[in-house]
Formats: sequence, structure tokens, C-alpha cells
Amino acid sequence: QLVSALHNLTRHVVYHGLTRAEDILSLFPENFHQNLKNLLTKIILENISAWRNEAQASQISLPRLVDMDWRVDIKTSSDSISRMAVPTCLLQLKIQEDVALCGNTPVVSALTMELSKETLDTMLEGLGRIRDQLSAVANK
Amino acid sequence: VSSQQFSALTEVLFRFLTEPKEVEGFLTQLSDFATMNKISLGPLKNIVKSILLVPNGALKRNLSSEQVRADFIALGLSEEKASYFAEQWKVNSPTLTRLAVGQTLMINQLIDMEWKFGVTAGSSELEKVGSIFLQLKLVIKKGSKMENVYIELTLPQFYSFLHEMERVKTSLESFS
Repeated sequence: QLVSALHNLTRHVVYHGLTRAEDILSLFPENFHQNLKNLLTKIILENISAWRNEAQASQISLPRLVDMDWRVDIKTSSDSISRMAVPTCLLQLKIQEDVALCGNTPVVSALTMELSKETLDTMLEGLGRIRDQLSAVANK
Repeated sequence: VSSQQFSALTEVLFRFLTEPKEVEGFLTQLSDFATMNKISLGPLKNIVKSILLVPNGALKRNLSSEQVRADFIALGLSEEKASYFAEQWKVNSPTLTRLAVGQTLMINQLIDMEWKFGVTAGSSELEKVGSIFLQLKLVIKKGSKMENVYIELTLPQFYSFLHEMERVKTSLESFS
């Protein structure tokens, strides 16, 4: 019962984003032990940002990018043409499935894809537009 | 076959080579050619098949137009016709080479990318959040099927992704 009450209290504080000692103190009932109240508030305040970050990190989301690697290859021949020098890019993205579904054993999959120079140029154009849109939103 | 007819035939052949998907158009043009010149279509198709072998082999072995000309003469074509064909070859070879390179094997090719970004307003854990997320949809061609991959990035991840992609571009350009 004690643990459950504590759990509810901390969840309430994190959910409403209470950051001031007075707000937390006001949650306790009138005749609650004074020192205990202060101690609890102090501990909660210390842990609040860590709890908020963790809640945010584990919220539901689409699969998240965790890492990326790339390499550039030069294709020198193929079955349709025996001599060429075509550079191409191999991109590997490490993707973690929805954290909420995996619990404590995160499932990370690696996706490797190939990009031609044209594809890369188009992608960079798209990424540039994202960056411009982001700065427009940030400046509003 | 007169030289005029030969040039017309060559034109038809090269048009097909540069647009390999237009098989029907090619076949129609061939039968038009046959009726116009009173040649029967069967033997014409056979001749065309053997003629087409030369440019394809030439592409595979990166032959110069000189070598193509020599090949044709060895096959028994008159010098004039062989030179004409070789000329056409020289003109068309950049396109043909580009097509051959385009057909080269690509592993999990990235076809398309879409994105959206927004702000997470709240969640079951936190009443007010206000963090920006970016969602990317990548369309990958796996074999003959298309696969959609959805991923989410935080802003710092996006900026380092952009930075890395720019490095890739520099690297690719230094090799072109």
C-alpha cells in the first residue's frame, strides 16, 4: 500500500511537471509528519528531471534511429558492362523497435540500403528543406 | 540491301537500343520496314537479331567504334555500311552505356523518402511535453518488392544525419 501510494505520488508529480517544493508539499495531507514530508519532497525534486527524461525516452513512437554508418564503393564491372567506375553509397541504419513494446530487451535491426549519386543528391535536397522548415518553426 | 535502306534499318535498331522498353514500337517499325522494302519479316528478324548481338557484345567489352567497325567488316558487311553503323554507335554509346550502368545490380535501393515533423504535445506519462520529432518514410526496393521503412529521429540525430550525408556527397563527388 505504501509503495503504491508513493508510486502514485511520483507519477502525479512527473505528469503535471511540478517543479516547486510548495506544489509538492501541498499534495500531502494536513497532519502528515513534517520532517518526512520535507525529506520526501527533497528526494522527489532531485529525481524529477531524470524521471521526466526517462518517461520521454520510453514513450511510444515509431521505430527510432539509433545509429548510422556509411561507406562509398566504386562499381568497376557488371554482367552488362565490363568496365566502368561508378561510385555508389551504402548506408546502414540501426533501428530500434518501439521501446514500449520491447521492455528491457531492445530489438535493434540493421537496414542496409544503396544510394546512387542521384538519389543522394535528391535526399540531400529533401534534408535541406527539412532543415529550412525546422529553422522557420524555431524562429516563429 | 541498299545503303539508304540500311541507314533506315540502323536508325530503327538504335532507337530500340536506346529505349529497350519500347519493344512493341520496335516490332511495328520492323514490320513497316519489311513491307516498305518488300523483304519478308522472318529473315529480317533473324538478321536483326544477329546485328543486335554486335552492339550488346560491344557494350560488354567496352569496344571503341573502330573495333565495332572492324567486327562488322569481319562479319561480311560492306565497308561503307560498317562505317555508318560504327558512326551511329559512337553517337549513341553514351546513352547505351548509361542504360547498361543503370541496369547494374543495386542492393536494397533507396527509391523515395517522405517526411513529417511535429511536436509531441503530451503523453500518458507527461501532461505537457513540447518536444520536436521528425519522422522519415524510406521506400526501399528489396528484389522486386517495395518496402516502406518508418523511423523517428530526434533533432540532434537529424542534424548529425544531415552532416554525414553531406560528407558522403563530398566523397562521391571526389570519385566522379
